[in-house]
Amino acid sequence: MKYELVSGLETHVELSTKTKIFCSCRTDFGGEPNTHCCPICIGLPGTLPKLNKEVVRYAIMAGLATNCEINLISKMDRKNYVYPDLPKAYQISQYDLPLCKNGYIQLDSGKKIRIARIHIEEDAGKLVHKGGDVYVDYNRGGVPLIEIVTQPDIRSSEEAREYVEKLQLIMRYIGVSDCKMQEGSMRCDVNISVRPEGSEEFGTRTEIKNMNSLTFMTKAMEYEKNRQIELIENGGKVEQETLRYIESSGTTESMRGKEDAHDYRYFREPDLVTIHTLSEEVENIRKSLPELPTARIKKYIEKFGISEKDAESIVKYKNISDFFEKAIQGIENPKIVSNFIIGQIFSTLNNEQEKESFDIKVSAESLNELCKLVESKKINVGLAKSTLLKMLETGKNVSNFISQEDMQSISEEKLLEICKKAVDSNPNAVKDYLSGKEKALKVLIGFVMKETKGKVDALNTQKNILDTIKNI
Amino acid sequence: MVTKEDIIKLAKLGKLYLTEEELDSAVKDMTNIIGFANEISKVDTGDTEFDNINGLENALREDIVEESFDEDLILKNVDGGKDGFFYIKKYQN
Amino acid sequence: MSGTNGKIRHIHDLLVNKKITCKELTEKYIDKIKESKLNAYVHTCEDLAIKTAEKVDEKISSGKEISMLEGIPMNLKDNISTDGIETTCCSKMLQGYKPIYDATVWKKLKGDNAVLLGKANMDEFAMGSSCENSCFGGACNPHNLKHVAGGSSGGVASAVGGNIAVYGLGSDTGGSIRQPASFCGLVGLKPTYGSVSRYGLIAFGSSLDQIGPIASNVEDVAIVYDSISGYDTKDSTSSKVAPNDTFNHLNDDIKGMKIGIPKEYFDGINEDVKNAIDEAIDAYKSMGAEIEYFDLPELKYTLPVYYIIACAEASSNLGRYDGIRYGYKTKQYKDIEEMICKTRSEGFGEEVKRRILLGTYVLSSGYYDAYYKKAQNLRGTIIKAFKRAYEKFDVILAPTVPTTAFEFNFTSMDPVQTYLTDICTVPVNIAGLPAVSLPCGFDSKDLPIGMQLIGNSFSEDKILNLAYKYEQYTEAKYLKELDMGVRL
Repeated sequence: MKYELVSGLETHVELSTKTKIFCSCRTDFGGEPNTHCCPICIGLPGTLPKLNKEVVRYAIMAGLATNCEINLISKMDRKNYVYPDLPKAYQISQYDLPLCKNGYIQLDSGKKIRIARIHIEEDAGKLVHKGGDVYVDYNRGGVPLIEIVTQPDIRSSEEAREYVEKLQLIMRYIGVSDCKMQEGSMRCDVNISVRPEGSEEFGTRTEIKNMNSLTFMTKAMEYEKNRQIELIENGGKVEQETLRYIESSGTTESMRGKEDAHDYRYFREPDLVTIHTLSEEVENIRKSLPELPTARIKKYIEKFGISEKDAESIVKYKNISDFFEKAIQGIENPKIVSNFIIGQIFSTLNNEQEKESFDIKVSAESLNELCKLVESKKINVGLAKSTLLKMLETGKNVSNFISQEDMQSISEEKLLEICKKAVDSNPNAVKDYLSGKEKALKVLIGFVMKETKGKVDALNTQKNILDTIKNI
Repeated sequence: MVTKEDIIKLAKLGKLYLTEEELDSAVKDMTNIIGFANEISKVDTGDTEFDNINGLENALREDIVEESFDEDLILKNVDGGKDGFFYIKKYQN
Repeated sequence: MSGTNGKIRHIHDLLVNKKITCKELTEKYIDKIKESKLNAYVHTCEDLAIKTAEKVDEKISSGKEISMLEGIPMNLKDNISTDGIETTCCSKMLQGYKPIYDATVWKKLKGDNAVLLGKANMDEFAMGSSCENSCFGGACNPHNLKHVAGGSSGGVASAVGGNIAVYGLGSDTGGSIRQPASFCGLVGLKPTYGSVSRYGLIAFGSSLDQIGPIASNVEDVAIVYDSISGYDTKDSTSSKVAPNDTFNHLNDDIKGMKIGIPKEYFDGINEDVKNAIDEAIDAYKSMGAEIEYFDLPELKYTLPVYYIIACAEASSNLGRYDGIRYGYKTKQYKDIEEMICKTRSEGFGEEVKRRILLGTYVLSSGYYDAYYKKAQNLRGTIIKAFKRAYEKFDVILAPTVPTTAFEFNFTSMDPVQTYLTDICTVPVNIAGLPAVSLPCGFDSKDLPIGMQLIGNSFSEDKILNLAYKYEQYTEAKYLKELDMGVRL
C-alpha cells in the first residue's frame, strides 16, 4: 500500500525586540549566564509582568505578512507546567484568543499551507547539563517568541522545508527576527502522521520537538514517516507520543507518551489586561510593512526583466536583495547589476552560510559606481567584470583599478584612428581576414582593446575595423 | 465524588508527595469542598463574561532597555550559585 | 488621646514639637516588641528602624518639615517584599528568603522615612482566617490572648491593637485585612482592586489580592491609604483613577447618603454582632443617612466562586517554589524531579497543599468548564449585581464577620466549615470593591465587633467619610486603647 505523510508545523520564532516580553532586560543572544536578568524574569515572588508594546506590533506584522486576520481583542493566558527552565512554573502565552489567525504561506507550486494561528509568548531559560548536574541560565527566559501553527497541510518533507524557508524569509524581510536556527532563534516542532493514499482520515500523530536545522528536520520527518509506515505494515499501531530526534543515529526516541501528556491548566493571566488593537492601528502596520519577498521577485521579473531563476536567487537572501536594491539606484537597466551579483559576486561565496551572512568587501555604492560606468559605456562589460573581481578581493574602489583618464570615454574619431592603426600594424591579420579567415578579426579587435584598455564596445570596434579594411 | 486516583493525579501535577494518611484526608476534604463548589454548577449564568475587574486594556510598556540586575544579586538567594548559574546537583545524599 | 484625632497626627505633633525624638519613640516600640507575648512579629529590623529614626530626628532638628508618616513606627505583613529583609509569607518554604527589590508600597513609605519595625505574622501564604496557619504559630488577639487575632493579616492587627505598631499594611484576598481588624477592634481598609499597586506583594489570588492599611482609627487609615494608593506602571492591573485625598473628605456631610443593607449578610450571624450592627444602622439614621434593606441573592454563590478562583490562581502562583532559585530546598533527593516534589511537600503546610490540590482540580482538563469557567461567569454576574445596587445606594453596610474572634484551635477540622466564616468578606474581593471594617461594639466576652462599609469602585473617600462620621458620632467609644505596648 502507498502511504501519504500528513504533517503540521509549530514554529517558534524569537522576536528581535530590544527588551524581553515582560521586563526591560535586554534580549541579546549569549552573554555571561544570568546577566540579562531581573526579579521579573527570574520569577521572584511578588513580581508582575508588563507587556512590551513592540512584541504586539511585531506579532501583528508577522500575521499580516502571512495573510492572517488580526484578533482585535486578545489576551494572555498561563500555561502551567513545572520545569527548572521555567522560573514561574507557568509560561505566559495565548490560548484561545491569539493575536493572529487564519493565514497562509504559498509554496512555489501554488499550494497554500494554512496557518491556524500566531500567538505571542515568553521563552524559557537554558539548562546546561554537566555530569548529570544541571546549571540554569535565565538570560533567554522572557525573550519574546511568536509561535506559528499550521494546519496539517504538509504532505512531504520537501514541502515542510519550503514552508519553513519561506516563513524564515518573510520574518527576515519584515525585520521581526533573524530566524537563525543554529542559534535557536527559530525552532520547529513537527507533527507527523501517515495514512493510506486517498484516505480522508488522519492517522495517529507523533510530535518531534525542537528541530533546529532544516537538514535534520527533513531527515527526522523521513525517518519518522518510514517508522510509522513500517509499524502499520507490521500490524502495529502508532502511539501518540512526543519524540526527540537523535542527530547522531538519525532516529527518533520517545520523550513522553500520551498518558504523560501535560495538562497545562490554561487560564487567563490575571496579572495582565486585555490587548485591544484598533483596526486603524492594524492598517497602519499593514501600510508600514516592508516589501515582501514574493513582491520583490515579481518586481524583478516583470519590471526589471530579470530571469525568474536569478530573481529568486537574489530574493532568497534578504541581505543580498537589500544590497541589490541599493546598487540599482540611478541605473536604468538593473539587469546589469543582477548579472554581476549572480556572476562575479556569487562566485566568491562558497556556500549557503556565506550567502546568508553576505560578508563581502564591496559596498552597494561601489558596485553602483561600477555599473554606471558600464551603462554610460565608459568601460565595457568585460573590463567591469575583471575589475569587480579585483574589488571583491581587495575591498578597494573602482578608481583604484580604472584611472580617471581611462574613464574618459573614447570618441568615435579616436576609435576610428585606433582602428586604422590596428589595420596598419597587422597586415598579416588583414590578409588572413581577406582570404576568408574570420578569426583573424579577433586579433585586430584585441589590438584595439589593448590600446583603449578595454573601454570600447567590441561590436562597435568590429564595425570600425571592417569599415577601415573596406576603405583600404 | 473525588477518588484517590484523582488526588494522585492532582498531586503529580502540583508536584506534591502525599503520604497515605494525607491522601486519605485529601480525598475526604476534596470531596467536601467539591460538593460545596458544585452549588454553582446548576446556576445558569447566561453569557456573563468576566475579563478583568476594572475592564482595563492595553497596559503596555515601551521597548526600552533598563540595566539588568547584578549577577550576584540575582544569585543572592542561592549563595551565589555556581559559576554564575543556578545549580542543581544530580542527587543529594 | 481623644478618638477624634488620629494617632498618626498625635505622634507627628509630638515629634514636630520635640516632645519626643523619633529615636526615643522607636526604641520604646522596639522594647515593647521584645516584651510582647502576642507573637505579632516574625522578623524585626531594629537597625534599619533606628537608622531611619535618626534620619528623621536630624531633619527635625535642622528645621526641615516632615510629612505625616515620617518617623511613624509601623509594620508590614510578611508577604510584602522588602529589599534585603526576610520576607517569608510565614512559610517554611520561604525561610531565609531575602528579596532583592522593594514592593511598590514599601518603596513609597520608605521614601517617606516610615520606621519599619518588622514583618508581621500571617497565615502561610495568606491562606487562613486565624493566623494559625503560620509556620511561626498564630498571633494573639490583644483583647484576649486566648483568642486569635484573625487572619490572614493577624500579625499586623495584633501589633496595632497591642500598641506595638502605629499602623501596618496587610493584604486582603477574601477578608484578610477586614477580618483581623474586626477581631482586634481596629479599622482596616481593603481598597478597590487596582487602587494600590500589587507589585512586590507575594501573590495568593492575583485577581483578588489588594494591599491596604490597618490602624486604630479611621483618620490614620485615610492618611496611610492616601500615601500608598495610585497608579504604578509596574502593575498592569493598577488603575489611574484611584482617589488619593480621602483625608480631605473625612468630614464631608453625609446627610441624605443612601445606605443599602443586603439581607443575605445577616443569615446565621451571631446575636451580639447583629445587635451591634443594628445599633450602628440607627446611628447612621440619626446622622441623616437613608437606610434601605434590599436583596442581593447573588451573594449565595460568592463563597464557592471565591474558593474556586482563589485556589486556581494560587495553585499557579505557588508553582514557582521549587527549591532552585530561592527559599527552602530539601536536604536529600535522588533526582531533580524528587528534589522539586520533596521541597514542595516539606516546605508547604497542610492548608496550602489543600488549596493547591483544589486549584489544580478546578483547572484540570475535564473540570475547567464546570468549575473555573463557571466561577468566572458567576463572578461577572456578581459584579453586575453590585453595580446595580450602586445605582441606588452610596454604600452597602454589613457585618464584617458573623462572629467575634474565636479561641485558638477552634477552627473546625472540616475545611468547608472554616471557609464559611469568610462569607461576609469575600463578596468584596470577588467584585473588586473597596470596603472598610470598623469597630461598632463588643460582645458579651468583651471582644470587639466590626462592621464593614462597602463602596462602589474607587469610592474609598466615601466609605472612609462615612466611617469617620460614625467614629465621631459614637465619640470613638468602640476604639478601646488597650493597656499594653507603647502608650503616648
